[in-house]
Amino acid sequence: MDPSIIEFIGEKSMISIIPNFSNEPLHLIYGSVGPFRAGFPVFVPLWLAAHLRKQQKCRIVPPEWMELETLEEIKEEEKRSKFFTKMPCEHYMVVAQLVMSTAPDDVPRCEELRTIIKDIFDIRESKLRTSIDAFIKGEGTYAKLDNLTLLEMHSVRPILPYSLDHIARYQRVATASQRDTSMLSLNTTGGASGTGSMSNSLFSQ
Amino acid sequence: MSRSNKMFGDIAFDLLKDLQRSSQTIPGFDDDGVRQVLEEIKAIFEENVAQASNYNSSGDRSLWPLLNYRHAALQRNKRCLLAYLYERMQRIKAMRWEFGPIIPSDIKPALCEPEVQFFNNYSKSLAAYMRSVGDGQGIDLTGNLRPPKSLYIEVRCVENYGKFELDDGEVVHLRKNSQHYLPRAQVEPLVRQGILQHIA
Amino acid sequence: MSTRESMSDSENVEQALNEHDMITEAVLADAYEEDGDDEDAEPITAQKVLEILETAWTNEMCAPELLQHQSDMLELMMSQVAHMEEQMKDLDKNDFRFVVHQMELERIRYIMASYLRCRLQKIEAFTQHIINQDATYDVADKRLSPEESKYAQEFATNVDEYFNKVATRYMPNQQRGEAEQRVVAPNLMSHVFLKANVAVSGVIVGVDDEEVDLTPGSQHIIPYQLVSDLIQRNQAKLI
Repeated sequence: MDPSIIEFIGEKSMISIIPNFSNEPLHLIYGSVGPFRAGFPVFVPLWLAAHLRKQQKCRIVPPEWMELETLEEIKEEEKRSKFFTKMPCEHYMVVAQLVMSTAPDDVPRCEELRTIIKDIFDIRESKLRTSIDAFIKGEGTYAKLDNLTLLEMHSVRPILPYSLDHIARYQRVATASQRDTSMLSLNTTGGASGTGSMSNSLFSQ
Repeated sequence: MSRSNKMFGDIAFDLLKDLQRSSQTIPGFDDDGVRQVLEEIKAIFEENVAQASNYNSSGDRSLWPLLNYRHAALQRNKRCLLAYLYERMQRIKAMRWEFGPIIPSDIKPALCEPEVQFFNNYSKSLAAYMRSVGDGQGIDLTGNLRPPKSLYIEVRCVENYGKFELDDGEVVHLRKNSQHYLPRAQVEPLVRQGILQHIA
Repeated sequence: MSTRESMSDSENVEQALNEHDMITEAVLADAYEEDGDDEDAEPITAQKVLEILETAWTNEMCAPELLQHQSDMLELMMSQVAHMEEQMKDLDKNDFRFVVHQMELERIRYIMASYLRCRLQKIEAFTQHIINQDATYDVADKRLSPEESKYAQEFATNVDEYFNKVATRYMPNQQRGEAEQRVVAPNLMSHVFLKANVAVSGVIVGVDDEEVDLTPGSQHIIPYQLVSDLIQRNQAKLI
């Protein structure tokens, strides 16, 4: 999945804004938003928040977790734990990135937050790489991926599923050629199954 | 085959390699190469047919490896040739999505006649499909290629284009180097054709 | 679909937009039955249709094979979008509401276009395989919509013609056929990311018949073929 699509999906997350205008509720197909009352917070999808902010029609209220102490705790927890901890938001990277680039003035200590969120992401990515390495060496074909966010999963996408596919294919070819060399075909179908399996729990708690 | 230092399948492999190396949208159809591969296929096939009957009548087992080798060479030739055509087909298809239903005049000479026909059929078929989606309501799949970021985008005009009418009837003059703030969906085709440039 | 007359002021337009759920419900009631035999008159909202389409879209992007078409949902959403556009014609282009509705429609149009493009890509890549497979299914289980089916047939013919004109007809007789050798099928054992929608027990996750219970919301990486039925039954989705 293209990163722009992951962002697109993340933009559906709801976020609180404080509009500087008033309006009746809008009945979107996604669901209704509003009513908008100047000075009063209201939840809207992120894509709408970003638009209104660019038009200077609102202030964005950063989500609760977008706050230094909370993120410090998450970072420490992430370092301590062997597993992936549960993130406060399924699209934390997308939300943080979009809010901080659209409305840096609405986020207190924006620069520090940026750094710490990047730190958390890096810790998780490195953990992910180590797990994948162990997983592939362990010849697994199945693993639990709890608490990984969409963006994180797709950050390894170019490697993870494809390398597993290749390993599985070699294994099938190996089994097939042991059975009967003449049965080898150029067929790309993956019907046959000769894959070893070993479930791996490194990814989950 | 008597060409020096050439092995079976070399020409076919070169066909593919040259295609993959070319940075053009699509390089010229290699008429000569394709013909040579087809000739090689024919030659190998005829040699094998002749020796196969020899093998059948004499039962000379020593011919067996040679027959197999030629057969493999033949299969490889076929595979490379079809892969060559398939890859060209992919690029021809991509042109339909990128440039629309008419082959750009600078690219047309690169295609052989059957390829032009393929393009035209593909184009027609795709257009008919897009019109028929949703019980005839129709949808243009060549637009909305990227997730929408903003309704409006800032664009700079790369060449003199002239008048451009927006859906709401407003007419903008697209002059070289002029900048505009226009509805993304409506100017996307022009951006793809390189007439407008998206500026961040 | 009924068009309202003399809808000149924007208040009426907004009101009309607000009623879109109801307008759709009528059409949707008979087109979609959730879970088969429940109360069959249960109307479906535009929001629900969109959710179904979004899931179909992400599933389609992640699945190696072509999934079942969603013509009904697509048709409904297209009508909905067209209807809203019609209602919005009279709104001032700079009106706050116009821009927001327009933005949402852009997002929905993108999802629909991306979804259908993704399917066309698979149809073009696995044409003959998909046609053969669909021929064995009942009408209700066909993967291809009627429009896609026509497109697939035309594409197959077009490709065959091209190959034949340029190459295969110049090949020795015995070397021409073998069309079945050229049938490309997706690799169903390729790995996918999966998220369980509901609890599913006893999912086989390996060839050694190793079983795992999926808890709602749990995520997994697993060969597609082992979970394709869960996707079909909407017990899990691909991410």
